Amino acid sequence: MNADQELVRRVQAGDKKAFDLLIMKYQQRIIHVITGFVHDPVEAMDVAQEAFIKAYRALPGFRGDSAFYTWLYRIAINTSKNYLTAASRRPPVTDVDAGDATIYYDAPELKEFQTPENSLMSDELQQAIHEAIQELPEDTATAIKLREFEGLSYEEIAQAMDCPIGTVRSRIFRAREAIDKQVKAVMTGGEEQQ
Amino acid sequence: MTAKQQELLSAFVDGELNQQELDELLSLMDSDESARADFLSYQFSSDVLRGYTSRSEPIDLSSRISAALESEPAHQPAEVAGEKARVLKLPDWFWKQTAGLAAAASIGALAVVGVIDQPQNSVTPELAQAQPQPQVIQQQPNIAASNRWTVGEREVEDRLNNYLVDHNEYAGASGLFSYARVVSYGEE
Repeated sequence: MNADQELVRRVQAGDKKAFDLLIMKYQQRIIHVITGFVHDPVEAMDVAQEAFIKAYRALPGFRGDSAFYTWLYRIAINTSKNYLTAASRRPPVTDVDAGDATIYYDAPELKEFQTPENSLMSDELQQAIHEAIQELPEDTATAIKLREFEGLSYEEIAQAMDCPIGTVRSRIFRAREAIDKQVKAVMTGGEEQQ
Repeated sequence: MTAKQQELLSAFVDGELNQQELDELLSLMDSDESARADFLSYQFSSDVLRGYTSRSEPIDLSSRISAALESEPAHQPAEVAGEKARVLKLPDWFWKQTAGLAAAASIGALAVVGVIDQPQNSVTPELAQAQPQPQVIQQQPNIAASNRWTVGEREVEDRLNNYLVDHNEYAGASGLFSYARVVSYGEE
């Protein structure tokens, strides 16, 4: 049983805090998926909240036939579509001509949710993370690459690198620490950079 | 927070914790606000690397969702689908009557089948040989089942599902979303 399955089992058994961890783990991804439909970032967060609440309520019916995220993803897509359907029957929140509400997808005012500053920052983050990985010792860099880019499990990485799982785990942690430093430096405009 | 605890957070990003470690993580998250911040940060970097977010900083909706869920009752184990149904004790007379009815129905059904089959099966051996053998038609896959992965190994199925989800997420991020078809999963 993986960590997600165990958390789901605990929520189904009445542990609400376990659901909190699932939210923390998947919220960025879910917001990203929803933003593909609902372009306004504030609205996207509201829809994400609604999707998580629906997921919580539906969790007793989740039998684990698919991965938890796959199931949550479907709920997020359906919630977004329902939101758009409902939104087409009421004036849009942003400053858009009422006629544009019927062609919601094509209204440019609703599509432009990412400012040039945001976009630049996002590119800088990507670059900072890749630079941080390049500066890592070879074993540590290989471990994080196999995990993040190839999606291998710790066991598979241990086999590929011929080392114990515990070593893989600590290498990935060290890589994350280094990446985290770089990310924070970018977010704070270099204040934390040493 | 100790390095060991931070390692726990990192392992949770990858879903690589056992039950005991999950217990530790749950109590750590409950008691240490910096643990939440560190986990969010690790998870955010991982999401950026994988292209799961294009934001410039992490968002945390967990407190507002938890607040919204506060009024919701906690789930009870009995609510869970697949839970064994409660066995009802039925009286002996019920079983006796049911068995009698079942036996009578079986005999009746056999008699009817025998009568119906008689004329259709009255083919001479020569004719039977001349008749072409029915072709074995390969059963078409069920349409309802064809829009989802059905492979034997659970791990492979999970991985294929993840690829499909990733594909959809990238399609959504490509700017072609209005024109791209969303690949989805069939309802079960």
